[in-house]
Amino acid sequence: MKGVELSTGFQRAVCSVCRPRRPRSDASKHLVKRIRYPVSSASFSTSPTRRATDLTPASNRGIAAAPFSFGGDSEDSGLLKRVRVVPASPSYFSGKPDFTDSLLSLQALLRKYQTLPTVPAGQAPRVAWKTLAQFRLSLSEPVKAAKYHKIVEVLHRLNHIHPSLMPEEVLEALQKHKRDINPFENVANPRFIDGYGRAWGTGRRKASVATACVVEGEGEVLVNGKTLTQFFGRLHDRESVIWALKSTQRIDKYNIWALVKGGGTTGQAEALTLAVGKALMVHEPLLKPALRRAGCVTRDPRRVERKKPGHVKARKMPTWVKR
Amino acid sequence: MIIRHLALRQGRRALTSQPIRRWTRFFASQVDTVEASLQTTLGEIRKVEAFVNSRSDHPVSPVDADPSSTPDNDASPEENLSNLGSEITPHYQPHTLLTNPPSPSDITLELLLASGAHLGHNTSLWNPGNAKYIHGIRDGVHILSLETTAAHLRRACKIVTEVARRGGLILFVGTRAGQDRCVVKAAELAGGCHLFDRWTPGSITNGQQILGNCRMKVVDELDREIPDFEEQLLDRSVLKPDLVVCLNPLENYVLLHECGLNNIPTIGIIDTNADPTWVTYPIPANDDSLRCVQVIAGVLGRAGEAGNKMRLEAASQGEVTYQPAQGLKMPAEKKDGEGQASSGSAPVSELGFLQTLM
Repeated sequence: MKGVELSTGFQRAVCSVCRPRRPRSDASKHLVKRIRYPVSSASFSTSPTRRATDLTPASNRGIAAAPFSFGGDSEDSGLLKRVRVVPASPSYFSGKPDFTDSLLSLQALLRKYQTLPTVPAGQAPRVAWKTLAQFRLSLSEPVKAAKYHKIVEVLHRLNHIHPSLMPEEVLEALQKHKRDINPFENVANPRFIDGYGRAWGTGRRKASVATACVVEGEGEVLVNGKTLTQFFGRLHDRESVIWALKSTQRIDKYNIWALVKGGGTTGQAEALTLAVGKALMVHEPLLKPALRRAGCVTRDPRRVERKKPGHVKARKMPTWVKR
Repeated sequence: MIIRHLALRQGRRALTSQPIRRWTRFFASQVDTVEASLQTTLGEIRKVEAFVNSRSDHPVSPVDADPSSTPDNDASPEENLSNLGSEITPHYQPHTLLTNPPSPSDITLELLLASGAHLGHNTSLWNPGNAKYIHGIRDGVHILSLETTAAHLRRACKIVTEVARRGGLILFVGTRAGQDRCVVKAAELAGGCHLFDRWTPGSITNGQQILGNCRMKVVDELDREIPDFEEQLLDRSVLKPDLVVCLNPLENYVLLHECGLNNIPTIGIIDTNADPTWVTYPIPANDDSLRCVQVIAGVLGRAGEAGNKMRLEAASQGEVTYQPAQGLKMPAEKKDGEGQASSGSAPVSELGFLQTLM
């Protein structure tokens, strides 16, 4: 008994050490040859996708029969066996591929034409680039302001290439980033003295709009058909209306006929300041610096500040009450 | 006793010491001695000449002691100096690392040393996990072993090549200032993706939210885009990289962690202050030197280029070296057009488009 057990145990031990002698069939050899992915089946991948690709042929070989081919769509399935899905842009993982690609293409363009002569700073044609909101809308990507500024910097530098040597592809690239309407091309209509010797000017302040007609005369003023003293009870307002003439010492040289509407007395008076100033500038353009110093050229943009929730007025807070 | 010993010792030394310098030295200048030695040397040479001339048939030309009559000095200084500096020896041109990066076969210890790959950080900043990559200490700075660097870099090249050959998606990441160009170049060569801006955390683990709007495309084995799969791609989950090459692992821990969670292998440049366990395949090198980073990125890009070339060669012989995308169906109405594309005759416009990526 003991001898038999010993011999069988020895046999088992030898079997466990040596490779099992299993004759390979010709079919299995053929299958091994046909595997295209040169993955050794001994290597085990922990990646789920990789494991699936590695082990599927092996399990097919071991357990199930080869999959049936029903024919018919052989050509299409042939294509499907050769396709793979890749990112459309190499900037895929940046999360904003279109933005990154456009930045890279602009930088490449700048490197290509870096040696071209440039115009001095400030003499390049004034261009309005797309605003951040417009740019975001064109790409539909969450681009931050600082990132967009990088693009604008490159555009600015490309725009400084000398216009006579500007390459065509740079022009195309710049055109893509320009606004549809260039606001710097807008020019104010020139103003003239009409056939009756009148010059018209418009002014605004707060909610008031004023139109003034200035003619050469003796210093008469009519606002909405009334004289200055009838229309404005406050002395300061009367002075405001003729401030353009008073600061240039021309009160007795021009007559004013004005229409004004909207707002209160102060707003109306200061709207008239602007209107009279502009009309006076038509008569005497050289007065512009003096009128600017007098404050008769620039529109005051301040409006009533809106009321906020939680406040009594725009900024006033409710009185603090203990309990 | 001590005095007796002293007298003995000093007396012996006084007797055996060199004799006092000859009194003539005080009157001779340094030039005189040099000239005298020259004269004695010349005399000896003349003796040797006379001896040789007496023994042999071919007389030896006499040695001239006057140096002013050498042929070089006859020429004008312009002729002597005209060629000075006109021969340009090979030197470092920084832009060539970007325009024409080195290939894996160019990896030499000289290249790595010249690019400063061996310079680590102050010894107090080290990570002990890097002990096996460190050669020694110099001026309080750890010096990396360049043999190890070269070996690890070659291994990384093989990985990149093989991943590219099997159609894998390789992502090159270098988010430090100045690394953008080498990252973009490497991705262009390897046909992969690049990231030189911030890694948006969750791009892998929460990719559907972050990369959901980024476009994908379906390509065949020759990298020609196949149209009409757009509707299916809309529903498809976003892509994950198959290999990530990170040039500055210290700043990209989140990326490497996400890769670890998704079993994506990573290659990273590990300086002496970085943790080598963050990446799968470390390359011990100096990640603070832009030149070193450009060398490594360029080499890995070239490796990817080689892998892509192998894949396309195999594809031109009808062999597909990658696992095809799963879950795609043929677009129904365009079967005829697809049949033409599969027969290998792509229109010219498609061929032009495939150059854009991969």
